[in-house]
Amino acid sequence: MKSDIYNWFFLILKRDLLIAFRRSSTYITPLIFFLIVVSFFPLALSPDQDFLRSLAPGVIWIAALLSSLLAVETIFSEDFKDGTLDEFFVTNEPSFVLVFAKVLCHWLITGLPILLASAISSIILYLPASSFLPMICSLILGTFFMSLLGAMGAALSLGRSAILSSIIVLPFSIPTLLMGTAVVSSAINNQDYSGFLLIMGAMLAIGIPGLCLLTVEAILLNYE
Amino acid sequence: MSRIWNFIKSWTVEMGSPPLFFQWSSKALPWLAIISIIVFSIGMVWGIFYSPTDYKQGDVYRIIYIHVPSAILGQSILMFMAICGFITVVWRVKISGMLIKSAASIGASFTLIALITGSIWGKPTWGTWWVWDARLTSTLILFFIYTAIIGLHSSLDDKTKADRAISILSLVGIAIIPIIKKSVDWWYTLHQPSTFTLSSAPSMAPDMYQPLLVCVLGFYLIFAFLLTMNLRAEIVFREKNKTWVSKQYLNRQKNDK
Repeated sequence: MKSDIYNWFFLILKRDLLIAFRRSSTYITPLIFFLIVVSFFPLALSPDQDFLRSLAPGVIWIAALLSSLLAVETIFSEDFKDGTLDEFFVTNEPSFVLVFAKVLCHWLITGLPILLASAISSIILYLPASSFLPMICSLILGTFFMSLLGAMGAALSLGRSAILSSIIVLPFSIPTLLMGTAVVSSAINNQDYSGFLLIMGAMLAIGIPGLCLLTVEAILLNYE
Repeated sequence: MSRIWNFIKSWTVEMGSPPLFFQWSSKALPWLAIISIIVFSIGMVWGIFYSPTDYKQGDVYRIIYIHVPSAILGQSILMFMAICGFITVVWRVKISGMLIKSAASIGASFTLIALITGSIWGKPTWGTWWVWDARLTSTLILFFIYTAIIGLHSSLDDKTKADRAISILSLVGIAIIPIIKKSVDWWYTLHQPSTFTLSSAPSMAPDMYQPLLVCVLGFYLIFAFLLTMNLRAEIVFREKNKTWVSKQYLNRQKNDK
């Protein structure tokens, strides 16, 4: 029984990753988008080093949130359109696992490029090297939470305009933004940042079961 | 024990069926209106004319009698919506879905009132209209959450589906409430910490907080009144093709003649 669930999970994950990798735009777009957004800030405000360093946590986090929401409606919409999602739901396998596999896949194809892009941006925004590790840790937790939230928004706005899911999701992403920037800016100021990281971890720990269940509920809305 | 529970469940489901609710709420509505207006006016008049002047802020502080109750309402309406959302998702009770929809616009209005009165109060006391303080910001987030819920509901055509969609969203939104509550202690900047806590005595003069309590009660009653009105409108709109609605209004037309 246990291995069945794992098989199902890896089957979905493998299938979705394969589809994503056959189309290079899925994982290149977030990376490019992130770098474009980040490079706009020095152009629009000021290329001064100290100023950019104080701005960097916020800039990186805003870019991360926006680019993780960039392709969020594709999590379910294509499978919904061609009927694959119907087939997944009529199988006896738990739909919770399906949603989690899809979220994980979305994180792998957008979250990891975002991490790479933020590493590049931390250099061009003159972030001190000591704050690099906390930034990556907070981004791992935060972008995964964003993928979960985005999946919920995508499920709620299935078959409707893509902008709707962003409007639904963005207000709920503000706690992540606040915590994430708090981690990076306290790391810059040599303060203790572990508390904020723990809160982000707690949000993720509640979010994985809670948001996956609610996403299943939201998808089922379309089959009535 | 289980018999009592079953009784409560069947009773609430029966009373919550749209036609029955419509009937008994038409009898309850005038009383609710009278009581809420009386309590609200007592609180307002007491607070604005008979409470003592603050030695530091002068008469400006009297805006507290609108600001604090509407801020409290803004948060507790979201909690109410989340409870209704849980009931909608788990038991698929029709009327609780309509309750969320009816409560959302009221909650958004109260949050907006709290934000506006807060900035009117902030100008003379803090010297600015707006500060990026944790408490203010989280109230603004609360307002955005309400707009997201209302926007999602209006974008879906099937209204029973839309009810369940926003119940999911309000369940997620409830996660923001602890952050709002705790934010004052975490990022204390300019906004004072909450005066009312259940565990300790209020730090305000009793002459000032007694009318405030009446105001909070009055706002809750006004909310109940507005919610019932909204819900009745929603019920009639949803069930306009049902026979009981046409009967209700046909009878009324006959009586009017």
